Amino acid sequence: MLEAQKLTKRFQDRVALDALDLRVEAGEIFALLGPNGAGKTTTINLFLGFLTPDSGDARIAGTSVAQDPVAARRKLAYIPEMVSLYPRFSGIENLDYFSRLGGHKRRGEELYALLERAGLAREAADRRVGTYSKGMRQKIGIALALATGAKVLLLDEPTSGLDPAASHEFSRMLKKLADEGVAILMATHDLFRAREDATRIGILVNGRLVAQHGRDEFRGKDLEKLYLERLAS
Amino acid sequence: MIATIAKGELVGAWRDGRFRLGAVLVLVLLVVAGLLARQQVARETAERDAATALERKNWVEQGNKNSHSAGHYGVNVFKPSSPLAVFDRGIEPFVGTTVFLEAHRQNQTAFLPAQDATAMRRFGELSAALALQVLVPLLVVLLAFGSLAGERESGTLRQTLSLGVAPRSIVLGKALGIAAAIALLLTPAAAVLAILLSRSAEPAAEGTWTRAGWLAAVYAAYIAVIVAGSVAVSASTRTARSALTILLAMWALNCIVAPRLASDVVHGQLPMPKLAVFEVEMQKDVMEGLDGHDARSKQIEDFTKRTLAEHGKTSVDQLPFNFQGFVMLESERMAGVVFDHHFGKLWDRIQEQDRAVAWAGFAAPMLALRSASMAFAGTDFAHHRRFARAAEEHRREFVRLLNEDLMNNARPGDHGYAAGRALWEALPEFRHEVASAAEAWRDARPSLIVLAAWLVASLAFLGWSATRLRAVIL
Repeated sequence: MLEAQKLTKRFQDRVALDALDLRVEAGEIFALLGPNGAGKTTTINLFLGFLTPDSGDARIAGTSVAQDPVAARRKLAYIPEMVSLYPRFSGIENLDYFSRLGGHKRRGEELYALLERAGLAREAADRRVGTYSKGMRQKIGIALALATGAKVLLLDEPTSGLDPAASHEFSRMLKKLADEGVAILMATHDLFRAREDATRIGILVNGRLVAQHGRDEFRGKDLEKLYLERLAS
Repeated sequence: MIATIAKGELVGAWRDGRFRLGAVLVLVLLVVAGLLARQQVARETAERDAATALERKNWVEQGNKNSHSAGHYGVNVFKPSSPLAVFDRGIEPFVGTTVFLEAHRQNQTAFLPAQDATAMRRFGELSAALALQVLVPLLVVLLAFGSLAGERESGTLRQTLSLGVAPRSIVLGKALGIAAAIALLLTPAAAVLAILLSRSAEPAAEGTWTRAGWLAAVYAAYIAVIVAGSVAVSASTRTARSALTILLAMWALNCIVAPRLASDVVHGQLPMPKLAVFEVEMQKDVMEGLDGHDARSKQIEDFTKRTLAEHGKTSVDQLPFNFQGFVMLESERMAGVVFDHHFGKLWDRIQEQDRAVAWAGFAAPMLALRSASMAFAGTDFAHHRRFARAAEEHRREFVRLLNEDLMNNARPGDHGYAAGRALWEALPEFRHEVASAAEAWRDARPSLIVLAAWLVASLAFLGWSATRLRAVIL
C-alpha cells in the first residue's frame, strides 16, 4: 500500500533521508521512531509529495508520488501534529469543506455521524473550531480520513501534546482504521503509543532506518531500552 | 473543487469582522460619493439651465443695434454635464464650463468648478471612481495577502494539498472567492449608482447605458488584475507578512506614486505652452490676417483692391453689398484658420499627454483605468475638446450670420444700420450632445489595450504561481 524504495533526500550537504526502504501493508500500523532531525517528517513530506526526492521512489497504493503527486495524494489521508482547520468554520463545516475537496460530497447527517465515530459530540461539531482543543482537532482529522475513505494514512506526531485520555481515544480510532484495512505510517516520539498501537516499528537515525522490529520482537520488551541502544549504536 | 474553494474563501471573508468593516466603509464611501456627485451635477445642471435661459433672454432683448456690434455683445454657452459624471467627475472640476462667444475671438472655457471650491479640495475630490480605483484594491490586498501565504503558515494549505487538490484549482478558487467577495460588496453600490443615473436631472444621452456597461467592464477587469496579482503574490511568498509588505508597496506605487509621477514625467516630456505665450503668438498670427476694425492696415488696403478688381469697381460704395460686412466675414474666416492652427496644436498636445499617461498604464494599471473611466464617463479631455470645438463652430456660424446680415442688409457706407429682435431670435441656440459610446470607445482604446494586457499578464502570473505553489518553502 505504501512503499519507499531507496528514497533519498538531501538538504544542501546534509543527508536528511538516506536510501529508505520501507513497505507498509494494508492493516499495518508502522511507527517510525527517531530523535528530532532524524528524518521522520522528511519521510512524511516525501510521501505527501511536498518534497521532491533526490533519488529513489515513494509509492502510494502503486502510484509514484514523484510522477503524479495529485493522484497519489488522492489515495491517502494525512493527520499532522496539529490538524489545521479554518477557525471561522465550525467543525462540521471544516469536515464538509475538506471532504468535498477530497472528492467526497456528503450529506449533513453523514458528516455528523463521521464526527461522532471519530469521538466528537454533535454540539461540539457545530462550534467554530477556534475554540477547539488539540484533541478535538485530531478527531476532525480522523473524521476526514473516514470521510475520504483513504486506504493509506500518514500521521506526523499525531499524539504529541494530547492528554492521556485523548491519546487513548486517538489510538483506539487508529486501530479501528487499521482493522478496516488502512495502511498507517506514523512518525512519532511517543514510545508508549508506538508500543501500544504499532504492528511494526522502525528506528530512524540521521536519515537512516537502522532497525525494524515486528510486534513480536518488541512486545513485552523495554522499547525505550531498545530504542536507546539503537540510537547509541 | 474550484467552486468549493471559492465558496469557502467567500464565507471566510464574510465571517471576518475586519472585511465586513472595510466593506461597509467602502460601500458607504461609494454611495456617499455618488450622492454628492449627483447633487453637484444636479446643481450645476440647474445653474446652467437658468444661465442659458437668462443668456437667451438678454440676447433677444438686447435691442436694435448693428449686427456686427451684436457679435461683440456676444453670448455665453454652457457645457452640459455627462450623466455619468455622477460616477467619475474626471477633469470636469478643472476645466471651464462656460465659453463666451464673440466676434473675432475664440475664447477658452472659463469658470472652473474648482475655483469655487474650498481649500479642502487639495485633499482630493471624493468620487465613486476614485473609491473603486484606490480603496477597493486596498481591500483586495487586505483580503488576499494571507489567502495562500497565511494558509501555508497555518497549515491549512498543507491540509488542502494533502487531499489531492491540484494547486491550480486552489489558486483559482482563492482568486474567484476573493473576486466574489468584492462583487458582493460592489453589487449594492452599483445598484445605487444605477438608480442615481436613471433618476439623473440630466436626461440620459443615447448610449449612456452602453457607456455604463463599459465602465462596469473596465472596472471588473481592473479588479480582476488586482485580485489575480495579489493571490499570485500570496502564493509565491514565504509568509503572509512578506506578502502584505509586497502588496502594500505595489498598491502605493500603483495608486499613489504612479499617477503623480506619470503626470510629472509626461508634462516634462510633452510640455504645454505658457498661456501668455500661447495668447501672444495666436494674436500675432491673427494680426497678420485682416483686422476689420483697422481700415488703414496694409492687409485691408490689399483686400480692398482685390475685391474691387474682382467686381470691376473703383469704390467700395459701388459694390453690391456692404463692404464692411464683407471684410468682417473674411476676417473671421482668416482668423478661424489661425485659431484652428493654434488651438488644434494646443489640444493635440493635451491629447498626446493623455495618451502618454494611458500608455504609461503598462507600468501601473490604475493609469489606464483612470483614462478609460473618464472616457466612458464622458469627462475626459477628448469630450471637453468636442464641446470646445462645438462651441467654436457655433460661434463661427453665429458671427457669420451676423456679418452676412450686415453685408446684405446694410447699404454701402451706412454706419447707422441696426438689426433687431427678429434677427436675434433667428440665430440658433447652442446645443451639444455628449459623444456616442462608440466615440468614447475609440478614445479609450489605448487604455483598453493596456488593461487587456494587464489582465492577460496577471492571469499568466496567477497560473505560474500555481505551478510554484508549495506546502513547504525551504
